[in-house]
Amino acid sequence: MRKLLYVVLLACPTLAFAQGSQVNTQGIKALGMSGAGSALFVDETSIFYNPGAVVKTTSNGISIGATGVMYRSAFKEVKSNVQYDTKFQVSPPFSVFATFGPNNSWWKAGIGVYTPFGGAVNWGDQWPGRFELNHLSMRAIYIQPTLSFKITDNFSIGGGFVYNLGTVDLSRSIPVFDQHGAPGKAELTGVGTGTGYNIGVHYHLENEIAISLSYRSKVVTKLKDGDAEFTVPSAVAASFPNTKFSAELPLPGSFNVGISFPVSSKVDIAGDATFIGYSIYRKLVFDYEDNTPVLTDTEQDKKYQNALSAKAGINYKASDKFSLRAGAGYVYTPVQSSYVYAETPDNNRIMASAGFTVNLSHKMDLSGAYTFQRITERTTQNVVTGLAGTYKTNIHAPGLSLTYKW
Amino acid sequence: MKRFQKNIKLYVGLALLALASSCKPEITKEFGPDNSSSVNFSKYIAVGNSLTAGFADGGLYLEGQQVAFPNLVAEQMKSHGGGEFNTPFFSEAQSNGSGYIRLAALENGRPVTENVTEKLAYTAPNVLAKYSGSEIHNLGVPGMRLDHSGQGIVSAANMYFARLLPDTDLGRVSYQDFVDNRNHTFFSFWLGNNDVLGYATNGAVDDNPAGTTALTSVAVFKAVYTQFINKLTANGQKGVIATIPDVTNIPYLTTVTRQALLDAASQAAGTTIENLYIATKTGPRAATDQDLFVLPFSSAGLLGKPNTQQIPYGFHPLNPIEDKYVLDEAEVQNLRTHINELNKFITEIGQQKNLAVADVNALLSRLKTGIIYNGVAVSSAFVTGNAFSLDGIHLTPMGNAIMANLIIDAINAKYGTKLEKIDATNYRA
Repeated sequence: MRKLLYVVLLACPTLAFAQGSQVNTQGIKALGMSGAGSALFVDETSIFYNPGAVVKTTSNGISIGATGVMYRSAFKEVKSNVQYDTKFQVSPPFSVFATFGPNNSWWKAGIGVYTPFGGAVNWGDQWPGRFELNHLSMRAIYIQPTLSFKITDNFSIGGGFVYNLGTVDLSRSIPVFDQHGAPGKAELTGVGTGTGYNIGVHYHLENEIAISLSYRSKVVTKLKDGDAEFTVPSAVAASFPNTKFSAELPLPGSFNVGISFPVSSKVDIAGDATFIGYSIYRKLVFDYEDNTPVLTDTEQDKKYQNALSAKAGINYKASDKFSLRAGAGYVYTPVQSSYVYAETPDNNRIMASAGFTVNLSHKMDLSGAYTFQRITERTTQNVVTGLAGTYKTNIHAPGLSLTYKW
Repeated sequence: MKRFQKNIKLYVGLALLALASSCKPEITKEFGPDNSSSVNFSKYIAVGNSLTAGFADGGLYLEGQQVAFPNLVAEQMKSHGGGEFNTPFFSEAQSNGSGYIRLAALENGRPVTENVTEKLAYTAPNVLAKYSGSEIHNLGVPGMRLDHSGQGIVSAANMYFARLLPDTDLGRVSYQDFVDNRNHTFFSFWLGNNDVLGYATNGAVDDNPAGTTALTSVAVFKAVYTQFINKLTANGQKGVIATIPDVTNIPYLTTVTRQALLDAASQAAGTTIENLYIATKTGPRAATDQDLFVLPFSSAGLLGKPNTQQIPYGFHPLNPIEDKYVLDEAEVQNLRTHINELNKFITEIGQQKNLAVADVNALLSRLKTGIIYNGVAVSSAFVTGNAFSLDGIHLTPMGNAIMANLIIDAINAKYGTKLEKIDATNYRA
């Protein structure tokens, strides 16, 4: 039960996790370069990557994108040769970005609706960590109205207000058993909200260099009146009343620096570095409305550390109508070895991506990307749950987006 | 446009390929396989008492037998040359064997139990249906004591033992005879608990004419233990032995506390009762928190009951709680010293005979404070601790699995084998 919040924050949607330590799938172009390109790509997705660049878009447009995140983890307990795998699931984060206002003016407005979290991990109830987690699925939808202003032709700023609406559904086994020896189950579902902001500045010199600085604030997401339901044998049903719970999850802020420059008339190189303030996530507290001697409020240590990611990519304009790109990145995990949980069996990760954009017409273009991430194998024992073993995770995420300009 | 179409096919194709090939990661790290041929698991026998037999919840029944720690260990041996491992299981029709107690409800966190009375294996009072089947390897006999293991009379007195023997052997064949000549290649030996437990759970009062409440002296313990081990290792067989848990840490003796009794008595009397009086070997005295009460005392209905002189039971030095219900502080200390001596000997003989020694006593000490096993709080707390069954003495299936892992660790550490650990979360508490 205590995992819910935590889960909300981190679970399998790590790939899609918006806070910067991982690849963001909000922009399919950037996804094609493993998340680099906040300085290079000035388009509707800048609402997410750098609100300061929005005003530099030369037309208004709407961009709709979706990614199929396939997050597969495997676990092997220490001193055992049995491997357990998460069940195959595709979680589909989506995004919609639109810009409004006069073209080539000193201001522009935009709105973004995107899913920085959105994913599912399902270990089932037949694995050694069943009392830690069975399954988690979650969806966070960020709504971000944005304004962007030109200070000079080359220098612009922008900012947006973020409203987070998140849903979560998770279950885990609980150690009370029926007469057939099957464990009970706790299921937690809830909706949480939080607010934050996203600001950025963008500077460029035509055909020389572009620099992007952006800051996304932390979003403290509060869950209230979530539903906690327990499936337990009737002998102990009175000790596990179905009840409400509340919890609080601090999503970290991040600071991103991006740079890009052309190496030829057709080729641009971009790099991004992101610092993520994960250390605010110290512990996860669950407060149940009804407590019994065996159902008490819980507090679980997380002890996250600040994290860093670096991404670089190359963008090749093959023709006026067609671009190809590729990128790679490395992410230092915020999760300390002794605090690895099944919800996020995290470790440092490497990633590689490829993508394209094709102009279907004067007004419409289509982008696609494929990214692969490997969370490096990690053998550890969690100090809180005692679960000891080796985790390994592969993530595949193909994405497509369609943009219409006017 | 053609080029795009060509490309998108390529991308989709690549995506599907990648999906099929590497979406599921493989952890290549292997535990084992071991190349030590020094241990032969082909015929493993388990020698011991109720804990070896799979006794739980105050009875021997099929479910408990199936998860007895030797059965779990034998399963792990199979991939390392282990052979068949048969257990004198009760039949499905008589699956509840001797009968046992199960949880009916939790009231204010306290368990309320009920007796299971259907599907029993009795053919007459205290007589269980004979086991008939192939040769058995789990030789655990509930109630077996080390000091009785050489006595033929026990096979007539112990219904669990009698169940395994033809009537012509009863009263004649001792447990040591029963274990002998089985041509085993490996063994586990965990006897000696009852040589302490019977005495402790009877408040350190030896009043049973059958000798089940006697405290076996250190000298006798050493002599019989050595004799038994010599038989088991006669052909150089390897094996694992286990230490005797400090019985003063088990829920049978730690659940009913002085304070709990006082609270219940005060509530029943409608007035605050300050003291409980207990009989000790040196006379009655007021109980302290260091005195341990046996689990059944709380439901015995004796406390506060007036005697013929109208003195309420337990509230006055002239009508104290009987000695057999209390393991008093001095007796606890004596037992601890005694158990330490036994364990020192067990460790020594293990080294001497090149046997693996599983330190169950150390495990139990850890359970006293509690451990977290894969997210489950496991402790020696009654019912809520997940390790001990409803009798407060024997293990739950989960407790058995944790025990089996301790045995496996000891075997691996001693002989360099790589028996895999058991996922104890698979077993109910």
